[in-house]
Amino acid sequence: MKVVYNWLKDFVDVTAPPEELASRLALSGTNIGGVENGPHGAVLDAEVGSNRPDCLGHYGIAREVAAIYKLPLKHVSTKPSESAAKASDFVKVDIQAPELCGRFTARVIRNVKLQPSPKWLRDRLEASGVASISNVVDISNYVMLELGHALHTFDYDKVRDQKIVVRSTRPDEKIRTLDGVERRLDPGICMISDGDGSRAVGIGGIMGGAETEISFSTKNVLIECAWFEPVAIRRATRFLKLHTEASTRFGRGADPEMAELASRRCAELILQLAGGELLAGVVDAYPGKRALKKIRVTRAEILRVMGADLPDKEIETSLGALGFAPVRIDHNRGAEGSLLAAWECTQPSWRAEVEREIDLIEEIARIYGLEKFPPRLPAARQGAARLPHHEAETRLRERLIGLGYREILTIPHVAEERDALFRPAGVSPARLSNPLSEEAGVLRSTGIVTMAAALEWNLNHGQRNARLFEIGRHYRLNGTQSSETCILTIGATGAAREKGLYDSAREFSFADLKGDLDAIGQLAAGTQPNGFQWRDGGPDWLHAAKRGKVFLGNAELGAAGQLPRRIADRLKVRQDVFFAELELDPLYEAMQTASASRRYEPLPRFPSVDRDFSLLLANRIPFSEIADSIRSLHIAEITSIEAIDLFRGKNVPPGKYSLLVRITFQSREGTLTDAQINHFAGKIISILEHRHGAQLRAS
Amino acid sequence: MKAHENKTGLPLVQLGITRPEELAALFADLRGRFDADCARAHDESAWKQFRDAWLGRKSGVLTQISDNWLKPATPQLKRAVGASLNELRAHVESQIEARRLAIESGAEEAALAKERVDLSLPGVIRPIGSHHLIRQVFQEIEDIFFSIGFSVVEGPEIETPYYNFEALNIPEFHPVRDDMDTFYIELPKGAPTPLLLRTHTSPMQIRTMERQKPPLRVIVPGKVYRRDNPDATHSFMFHQVEGLAVDADITFCDFTGTVEYFVKQFFGPSVKTRFRPSYFPFTEPSVELDASCIFCGGTGTAAGGGTCSKCKGAAWIELFGAGMVDPAVYGFVNYDAKKVSGFAFGIGIDRMAMLKYGIDDIQVFFQNDVRFLKQFP
Ligand SMILES: [Zn+2]
Repeated sequence: MKVVYNWLKDFVDVTAPPEELASRLALSGTNIGGVENGPHGAVLDAEVGSNRPDCLGHYGIAREVAAIYKLPLKHVSTKPSESAAKASDFVKVDIQAPELCGRFTARVIRNVKLQPSPKWLRDRLEASGVASISNVVDISNYVMLELGHALHTFDYDKVRDQKIVVRSTRPDEKIRTLDGVERRLDPGICMISDGDGSRAVGIGGIMGGAETEISFSTKNVLIECAWFEPVAIRRATRFLKLHTEASTRFGRGADPEMAELASRRCAELILQLAGGELLAGVVDAYPGKRALKKIRVTRAEILRVMGADLPDKEIETSLGALGFAPVRIDHNRGAEGSLLAAWECTQPSWRAEVEREIDLIEEIARIYGLEKFPPRLPAARQGAARLPHHEAETRLRERLIGLGYREILTIPHVAEERDALFRPAGVSPARLSNPLSEEAGVLRSTGIVTMAAALEWNLNHGQRNARLFEIGRHYRLNGTQSSETCILTIGATGAAREKGLYDSAREFSFADLKGDLDAIGQLAAGTQPNGFQWRDGGPDWLHAAKRGKVFLGNAELGAAGQLPRRIADRLKVRQDVFFAELELDPLYEAMQTASASRRYEPLPRFPSVDRDFSLLLANRIPFSEIADSIRSLHIAEITSIEAIDLFRGKNVPPGKYSLLVRITFQSREGTLTDAQINHFAGKIISILEHRHGAQLRAS
Repeated sequence: MKAHENKTGLPLVQLGITRPEELAALFADLRGRFDADCARAHDESAWKQFRDAWLGRKSGVLTQISDNWLKPATPQLKRAVGASLNELRAHVESQIEARRLAIESGAEEAALAKERVDLSLPGVIRPIGSHHLIRQVFQEIEDIFFSIGFSVVEGPEIETPYYNFEALNIPEFHPVRDDMDTFYIELPKGAPTPLLLRTHTSPMQIRTMERQKPPLRVIVPGKVYRRDNPDATHSFMFHQVEGLAVDADITFCDFTGTVEYFVKQFFGPSVKTRFRPSYFPFTEPSVELDASCIFCGGTGTAAGGGTCSKCKGAAWIELFGAGMVDPAVYGFVNYDAKKVSGFAFGIGIDRMAMLKYGIDDIQVFFQNDVRFLKQFP
């Protein structure tokens, strides 16, 4: 709301310059977005909170200023001269929906002269950012900006039967509003209608209708100044998607007592600027009159909440200036600073949201000054705990970073068709019912979707080498329940090693991905002898020949592999891309168990011996079978079995491959002799020949 | 050398020297010869030959002097010859050692010149990863609060209206809901409750208090969502750290002291804070916390003169909203509002990161351009 500095002076003799005033207002709860010095003096841009409808007018702001500077507030008193004829003889008001409209006042002014407004009025409206239309319309806007209460003026002669009926919407009702838009209405909206109530002439508290609008031919004016139920107004504005100055004020809760005063002020200004004759009295239907609440505030509670004391006088003057009329009611009345002090306050009609002791304490504190409460750092009474998986997650992250992966964070909103590319069968995604766009219509059901997008972004921006990881969640729907699962997603493309002074370039391959994942698996090694186990298979969106499932014991954590050409083409990615995704909770758990069960193993005292076996094997026999067979011999002295070279082609018969296996022997009892090693080697060769048809090649 | 050999091979008598005064010229001549030869020993083998010529046990010059001049010397000469010989020996030994050091270091120099690395060339470049900046900033915030007794908890991003709004004292049609445009999840008919993407991390205030009795101090990091069109300062997903402390005797002073401590730890001790009264349905009194502008040092004037573009001359920058927990919230979690009090805050991590590192576009956080990621190793 634009606050015109000179306008404030109508109500409070503030002398502080605008900039200082802005700062004081901000520090007492009326934030000022900026101060502009225009042709009509300084204008403060007040960012009025939704809880302060009373500050949506200059009078309300002036009350704040008066409280801050301890200045008197000049009350609005207006006594327009009235004719002998009574308003009640010329207009009837029937509120049929008191749950929507708590008060409706009507005044009538006859024989007004519609004309442009005088300069002072146009200036103030212009400073407030409101266009000038005609004196009568301008006056209703002026009074709204002055007193914070919205009014509506009708062309009296266009109102049928001199009668206003306030009711709820009728089925399939429509209205053409002042802005010329035909609007369909929802049940439960407050309608102002005329005559027998069949014709709507306005949406109560939101916008008037076009049919009874004031024009330059208007002679007689009906002033509506009413009070509408805030929740109903907000519901209606949301349905109509129509936000007006009036709906903002009524929607936040206007002052029902102000309705009559604002009407009188409006009449006074019309008489002054448009002439005419004001009919005597006001037609005032007021079914919603509220008893003013009594609220008690005690020093004990102030101390309990705020933690520091303030003098009685400060409490009383700040509450008094804001209209709460504090009265000391404890037995120690008059005893300054008594810990038992209590005040009874009366809720002013313009502060419906102040209902509780805490509300009063906030009022006192903000006017007194929050900076007067001395900050102190309280001691903790108990130890603090990190997240249960904090350590595991930290170690995982550090390992990934050590392996060369950069962490990313993505927005989980993705396009349905993208998500579908990577979504496992049978999974229902969490779709948004009100997405901002189709491109962001579902929450990712796997982290691969947004990882792919991050790689794409980099490839499209000239960054062909990327190793990325994300620790996040995927989101799914199980019937009417949602699930969020913690996942690690890895994406890699481009060079595993770039061409440099010392090394040649090498592209990232499945083996890199597998090696990196196994390095992560080692964090859980202990519970599982070698960390992760790999099994054939994996999701369809991975290359059928370059993928695998990752297990930890019997738990399937996820899968890893290369993106097949057909999907890479759809994503317009021309180079090889690798992905992996693992569920994190089971991994964290295994890491924690492994870490807790790890014990020192004394270092061997005797030397180890390597023995290489060059084997010729049928293509279908994987290394794991060879290793398993060797292990099945239960030779305790074997400490490792490694594949150190592998080749096909030249000198290798078709359908076969050559595998160089290195076995390391070591004994805790003594140095192994050649005879012992030869004995073991014999058993190994024998089982490999018999079980797998392996041929031993000279190595 | 021959000349010395000739002379040193003969006893002094044969050289016609009988008086001590005549020795000086003889020894000075030897010393001159030594110095000249020493300078000519350029490498290790020449030096070895030279050393043996002078210090060799059997036929070195010094041995010869001892054998031929000293031993047969007449009693009146013996003492003087001995003294001169010792003086010469000291000179020869020290110069030969000095020469050795000089030759060694010279050889090393030559060898090093061949092997010297070019420091202007890079080493082997290994791929190195990095933490995302948001994660770094969150960790920093977590560490600060952890150090003053705040535990860390997490919660769901897909929430119910009850936790996101109602239990936080935001009933339906509350005006605040208009400021928090909300994404809803599409659900089959008959779903027991609508589901939404949390608009703040505050639902975890309720979930934490439901699980735990006071005293409690927690922070809650996580993603939050608001249905705003993306631009340089808005993203429909961003990150918050919620904070909540509830105990029997927590006051507003404890609250301001705690958040002020955080701000000074995070931005530095010279940053000033101020609390502006504000409004949130779930805190009362509510405040916005401002810090003195970290770009212009709270002057409102940019370094090169003119208005500071970050605070627009206001000298203050809004950091985050906070306040004392509204007693109405305790009603939802069965706490006795008369016996407990507390405070809550919601820090925007992205905003903190943007302020601290001078980032002017929130979208860069989520594009994950490697060139951006590399800037914060
Ligand atoms: Zn600044």
